[in-house]
Amino acid sequence: MRRDFLKGIAASAALALGPGTAALAQDAAEFYKDNVIQWIVPYNPGGGYDEYSRAIAPYLEKYTGARVDIVNLPGAGGMKGANEIFNAPADGLTIGIINGSAMVTSQLSEIEGATYKIGEYSYLGRIVADLRVLVVGIQTPYMTFEDMQNASEEIVVGATGLGGSTYVDAVITGPAFGLRQKMVHGFDNSTDVRQAMLRGDVHAMWGSLGSAIQGVTDGDHRIVVQSDRVRSPLVPDVPSIFEFIEGRENAAEIGPIMDAWDALNAVGRPAAGPPGIPEDRLAFLRDAFRQALEDPEFAQMMTDAERELAYLPGEEMLKVAKAATELTPEVKDVIVKAIRGEI
Amino acid sequence: MTILEGLTSGFLQSVSLDVLPYLFVGSMFGLIIGIIPGLSGHFAMAMAVTFLYTMEPAAGIAFILSAHATVSQGGGLTAILFSTPGTGQNAATLFDGPAMRDKGLAGVAVGAAMASCAFGAMFGALVLAALIPVLRQVVLFFGPPEIVMLAFLALTFVAVLGREDMIRSMIAALVGLLLAMIGLDNVTNTERFTMGILSLSDGLNLVPVILGLFAVAEMFDLWATGGSLARNSEGPLSAKETQRQIFEGVRLTIKNWWLVMRCSAIGTAIGLIPGLGSAAASFIAYGHAKQTSKDKESFGKGNVEGVIGPESANDAVEGGAVASTIAFGIPGSSSMAILLSGFFILGLETGPRMLNQNLDIVFVMIFTIIIGNLLGTIVGMFAVNPMSRATSIRAEVMVPVLTAIILTGAYAAERSMFDIGVAVFFGIVGYLMKRLNYSRAAMLIGFVLGFAVEKNLYLSLLLDGPWFFLQPIPAVLGLITLGFLVYNIWVVVRDRRARRRA
Repeated sequence: MRRDFLKGIAASAALALGPGTAALAQDAAEFYKDNVIQWIVPYNPGGGYDEYSRAIAPYLEKYTGARVDIVNLPGAGGMKGANEIFNAPADGLTIGIINGSAMVTSQLSEIEGATYKIGEYSYLGRIVADLRVLVVGIQTPYMTFEDMQNASEEIVVGATGLGGSTYVDAVITGPAFGLRQKMVHGFDNSTDVRQAMLRGDVHAMWGSLGSAIQGVTDGDHRIVVQSDRVRSPLVPDVPSIFEFIEGRENAAEIGPIMDAWDALNAVGRPAAGPPGIPEDRLAFLRDAFRQALEDPEFAQMMTDAERELAYLPGEEMLKVAKAATELTPEVKDVIVKAIRGEI
Repeated sequence: MTILEGLTSGFLQSVSLDVLPYLFVGSMFGLIIGIIPGLSGHFAMAMAVTFLYTMEPAAGIAFILSAHATVSQGGGLTAILFSTPGTGQNAATLFDGPAMRDKGLAGVAVGAAMASCAFGAMFGALVLAALIPVLRQVVLFFGPPEIVMLAFLALTFVAVLGREDMIRSMIAALVGLLLAMIGLDNVTNTERFTMGILSLSDGLNLVPVILGLFAVAEMFDLWATGGSLARNSEGPLSAKETQRQIFEGVRLTIKNWWLVMRCSAIGTAIGLIPGLGSAAASFIAYGHAKQTSKDKESFGKGNVEGVIGPESANDAVEGGAVASTIAFGIPGSSSMAILLSGFFILGLETGPRMLNQNLDIVFVMIFTIIIGNLLGTIVGMFAVNPMSRATSIRAEVMVPVLTAIILTGAYAAERSMFDIGVAVFFGIVGYLMKRLNYSRAAMLIGFVLGFAVEKNLYLSLLLDGPWFFLQPIPAVLGLITLGFLVYNIWVVVRDRRARRRA
């Protein structure tokens, strides 16, 4: 209803301005100059998505010439904002950041209420991929991933709700690598799980590297394994989980599952607009987005804040997003079961 | 950095010309946001955080934290003068604040509210300062089993709030618990009571529910009865009379210092526990004030203790709430999540590094809470006079204007049209409850605690098995809860016998 309302406003504004087509013919750079771009963040202020967005906004302003307004639209685990972006007028003035991996899993498990198609967004590019890490509490005896595989006791793994990434990561990797784990889920968010780990209520959790890294320096927990095939330069000493596939009896079986999981993580956090943004404007936005992310000042700021960047151009991003949803039936079955909490 | 060095440096920074102006602007901004119904500390911080990019760490922290700290003071003003909670944590002030206004004692109520806020905030900030050496241990003290038992204890306060009509209060509280169940269940990921409406899948938002139950309902009532907000008084108070009353309010607060201390302690403790929230803190403090008062009968009819209790608790929350954010970078509420991103923007680290190397920043926060609230108190007192004149405006003018502001507030919190509908719906419910004498406070307590009870009960069962409540701390809390319940039931039975005899 709200969208129709917005469209109504847009339509009446176009009528009022007279020849609406003239606006389209305008040169893209001229179009954006002194215009206002709405940047939708599908989560509340505070937290990674909001921080990335607020950090990028000034640089996007610098290279587009437009004003960038951050709009927080939290709800339904980021789905409300993703829907809003997908269904916004395709004039190139409404864009935003989406939780790509979570939106892929929601689409795969056919969750009700998803009105977006992950393969149809107009992608500006990817800001960062999901680098997931398995973290264990400092008071646990596990120093390495092997220790966990050979653990004599059950490992209590904390997670948020079913279908959340902390949960999905654990139930995909745990059984594949022979961990004896007991899932305890129902925490509000990942910081809530972290607090339980500090108390020793849970032994381990999956989380993003960005939010785990500070706790390592503080001596609150250890990172035992990372999700990237190639070890991240931020944590060069932590082995990749893919290094553990070889030599396992079930290597042939888990290989494709881990590939699908990897594709899922690769979707990460893209900047996207609704489908159908005029070619010239999308090209202009993509270019401005690339320049913003490559701005040395911006890069320095992100390094200082220990926030990762993994830029991918818009065209590439579209391929990655499509690849993540195209799975073989067997693999899809495992992933969807994991998302729905059936394993 | 030793604590003494941190304290000195933090204090000198807070009162330096590089920081103090920002602190002043922040606290005035928070006060105004608080006065506007529906806009909360969360909103004030989200707006303030955009200004941080060019600021120095101390100035930036003082700016956003002061904007958050004074919100409940502004909200208290609105609650007392317009029967509308400025923010969720002022809802408990509505029982006695407006009743005092109707008696022509608006100035006393506001004076007491402002002074309680200042004392409460100071208490919370001092506790935070005292806890610095053991902050990390204290924050980790509360796990799911402890929180469940505490939430149960808090729920039993319904018995105090609704002593006059226990059955109706129980019904209201249970409906409140049911309302908390709406939305996606964290554990099974299934939707409950959403009736297929996507907007309900995250559950009902607290702000529109509170605005509906109290503010919109009040507008219906005012519309139905006509007249003006300040019912029994003849015209607005004179400036001189208001001034006299305000000082009287401050005097009464100081006279009730022991109540202020206890309610501040309740507020600080609840601030330390993640997930209970400041609205719960103020209701529990109200219940406590009523429980321990010598004059229980006059509660709800304009007892100043009913203003002092919740207002000192809702500002004392601040000191407790920042503790877990500082100690571990774990935000206990949505506002604290914004504070955390403020730290990030300013290039400050949390956790042991802040407690060891940036202790001065921690003290800047402590002094910000104290100074910001003092400024808010003083300016708030001056704001009463012009604002209280508005309370004698006729209903025909007042109702449409206030309703528009209230509904805008309901929308603004989450930018959701749906929330306007929620506010109107609960406005009708609230009006009916008021007319039929069901306790809205009991319902709200059920609603704000329902989620915490359910989540922590589930986690406790999963982590520690069915006998989790036999662990030492939960067991003690459980015994206190039982004792409290038994005592209150006994009082009810005794009163009933006494009445029968009479």
